[in-house]
Amino acid sequence: MRKHTFWDLTTLFFRYTKLTLKTTLEYKFDRSLITVAIFFREMISVAVMFLILLRFLHIRGWEMQELMFLYSFLFLSYSLFVFLFAGVRDFDGMVHSGDFDRFLTRPLGLLYQIIAARVDYPATLGHGIVGLVLFFNTAFAVGIDWNWQNSLFYIMAILGGAVIQASIFMLSACFSFWSVRTENLRNLIFFNSRRVAGYPITFYPGIIQKVLIFVVPFGFVNYFPSQFFLHKADGEQFWSGFVYLTPAVGVVMFLLVSIFWKYGVKNYKSTGNAMY
Amino acid sequence: MRVYLEFAKKSFQNNIVYRMDYFAGVINALVMIFVNISIWKAIYEEEESLEGVQFKIVATYIVLSFLMQVVYTMDEYFIEGKVRSGLISSDLMKPINFRLYVFSYNVGTTIFRLLMQLMPALLVSIFLFKLLPPFSTEMFIFFMVSSVLGYLVLYNLNFIVWASSFWFYWTFSLVTIKDAAVMIFSGALIPLWFMPQWLIDFIKLTPFDSIFYTPIRIYLGQIPQEEIWTSMLRQVVWVVLLFGIGQLMWKAAAKKMVVQGG
Amino acid sequence: MALIEVKDLVKEYQLNVRNKGLLGSIKSLLIPEYETKRAVDNINFTIEKGQTVGFIGPNGAGKSSTVKMLAGILVPTAGSITIGGLNPYKDRKMNASRMGVVFGQRTQLWWDLPVSDTYDLLRHIYKVPEKEFKANLDMFSEMLGLHEFIKQPVRQLSLGQKMRADIAAALLHDPEIIFFDEPTIGLDVIAKEKIREFIRFINREKGTTMLFTTHDMVDIEKTCERMIIIDHGTTVYDGTVDEIKRKYGSDRLLVVEFGESYGSIQLPGAELVEERDNKKWFRFSKDDVQVSELINRLSQKYSIADLTVQEPEIDSIIREIYQGGINLNASLSGVC
Repeated sequence: MRKHTFWDLTTLFFRYTKLTLKTTLEYKFDRSLITVAIFFREMISVAVMFLILLRFLHIRGWEMQELMFLYSFLFLSYSLFVFLFAGVRDFDGMVHSGDFDRFLTRPLGLLYQIIAARVDYPATLGHGIVGLVLFFNTAFAVGIDWNWQNSLFYIMAILGGAVIQASIFMLSACFSFWSVRTENLRNLIFFNSRRVAGYPITFYPGIIQKVLIFVVPFGFVNYFPSQFFLHKADGEQFWSGFVYLTPAVGVVMFLLVSIFWKYGVKNYKSTGNAMY
Repeated sequence: MRVYLEFAKKSFQNNIVYRMDYFAGVINALVMIFVNISIWKAIYEEEESLEGVQFKIVATYIVLSFLMQVVYTMDEYFIEGKVRSGLISSDLMKPINFRLYVFSYNVGTTIFRLLMQLMPALLVSIFLFKLLPPFSTEMFIFFMVSSVLGYLVLYNLNFIVWASSFWFYWTFSLVTIKDAAVMIFSGALIPLWFMPQWLIDFIKLTPFDSIFYTPIRIYLGQIPQEEIWTSMLRQVVWVVLLFGIGQLMWKAAAKKMVVQGG
Repeated sequence: MALIEVKDLVKEYQLNVRNKGLLGSIKSLLIPEYETKRAVDNINFTIEKGQTVGFIGPNGAGKSSTVKMLAGILVPTAGSITIGGLNPYKDRKMNASRMGVVFGQRTQLWWDLPVSDTYDLLRHIYKVPEKEFKANLDMFSEMLGLHEFIKQPVRQLSLGQKMRADIAAALLHDPEIIFFDEPTIGLDVIAKEKIREFIRFINREKGTTMLFTTHDMVDIEKTCERMIIIDHGTTVYDGTVDEIKRKYGSDRLLVVEFGESYGSIQLPGAELVEERDNKKWFRFSKDDVQVSELINRLSQKYSIADLTVQEPEIDSIIREIYQGGINLNASLSGVC
């Protein structure tokens, strides 16, 4: 067999990217429209936040700019996640359509193919633009000194947040190996948690806070990283170490899910097309 | 008439097959209610009454809004699916009124949601979120009527967007943008009385507030007796207007199908 | 050693039980039930390098599961598969580099892009040296007429073109084994023949071992030396096409067109199976009665305008096997 070197895999990945981009450009108009639609959809919750704060100026000591800054983490990290892991998000569909079977017949890693073969440009841009709009409107108005340490931490936080979300999706994707469609449940848990995390977790009862820290760790996607920068008073009830943990949480989650993934591949039941 | 009842029944049965949807719809609504109430609770920490409205009124508003949203959720891609798959041609050849068919299909789904999703959600809301009872029995009856009207306003608005699939084929973008507009302008996410005046004035010119805002206010007893009839009349006007536009589009679409051969 | 060895292969599935009616649906919603289905029940066979083998069986018979396990797509519940000394699911990547798969129902080509774009990608996925790649591509292009549409997006191609492109795609990296799953489904007669010709050519020229799952008996007859019938999860027959015809195709059809319209005709030794106008179809077993005798009997009493003797279609034999009409000895294993 002609084995792939690391360099081979990298250049191959870029070839895939070229093709996914080419495919998207085939539908330039459609995709742009979808990007706009997603942008509007996501902006709704921002608009609600805006209208409320326009009227009430601050909630529990959080000002509008600070809340928007908190919110921007969700969009930017999700955008990054979806850019790389759209394949994992759509994995259930891949299994159902037979695409995953095809991947099994190729001399390439499965996760590699799943990531390389699917890129959702509209979702990436839709969420990404919302995130950038929020970020640039707030990042310089909330008293953060953007020196290189802070900037580096910020990038790590976004990356960590993306990996945390990727792990959640990957966990759900694993169930497809047993023909269990968890898409609905996953979307339920994921998007509702995300919704809740749109506001500081301290706005909610203790049990919800614990869920968002220890079960579906959205707290680490936006609340703790923002507290690293903002030091709002309500953050004092938590262990001070939490604000640094986002990248670590991401890595740990990803490793755990990878183990489950490997186990899942071994037990894969192809439902593929028509016959069994 | 029998046949349309059958469509509704079939739609009802179909819904049962989608196990997770059943749970998901209920949970989604409850979470949304929870999040919103938590935020408003936080806001109300500093003052007892805002804009002359107490917290428990706002809480009830939120609950009603999201419960209604659950029931008002419709299959946005039913027509699009038929157009894309070509099944639309066979539907047009059948001796049935297509618009009535789509309507009965949606009604079937709505009744499913009423029974399977609204009931449990309502129960939870009464205990967990302290949903207030209607302002009065009389208001409650008006509320029921107004809700039906609100549903019809939304349905006819939706139909216009769905019908665009005859021209645009993919309606995801339009549906999503329409949804965004409805969410924000109908008072579904935030009571309209908290919005800046200029925005409220704008919304009053649109059908949006007739969908959720009007019925909910009736329930809360915020609309004085004299105005109830005018409010509901506004709803009726929008139903008729939107229905009319929908009919024009439908006629044009059917013509297009005939000319193009599907 | 044989290239492919399959021993005691078993595959079980857990299926969701759905209840009927409105109340039943609600019950399934709240209390899901499962039952185990044994799709593959102890299958054994070996395949030598360069052989062409067809797998036939009714839907749900287990043939697709078997082939998917061979292709490394499915993991067996029990038993073992060895391909070239490798385990298809444990040594997946290694095995994959030597294997090609054609899924008739689903193309591996990127839908919105020119065929050539996918080919280029495949070249790099399988690390095919440029010279070999070009040589293969030229050969396939010529035989399959790919240059007509190789630059077109796949979504614009006809079914026949897609199929040709797909088959070429699977062979570009010179696999040792290739799996075909319904390769000619939906194609017209000429397209089918062209593909079969190409497949035979590749088998001869490159010695590629080929496995087919198909419902098209003519595919099997024209491209396979060997046929394995799988029904209810077990091998019902494993031998050559000729052999099955010989052993179980003792039925013949005597088709007679009479000069006049006769009422009912009695022909001892034969059974009337169809009649239309002046034409009558008689079925008889050549082991029981000689055709010359039948013709004699008929010509003595009736005026005959035309007659033919037809061999049974392999189709009808298979149908009878599916329906349990013909009893096959499962231990019968012929290698051509």
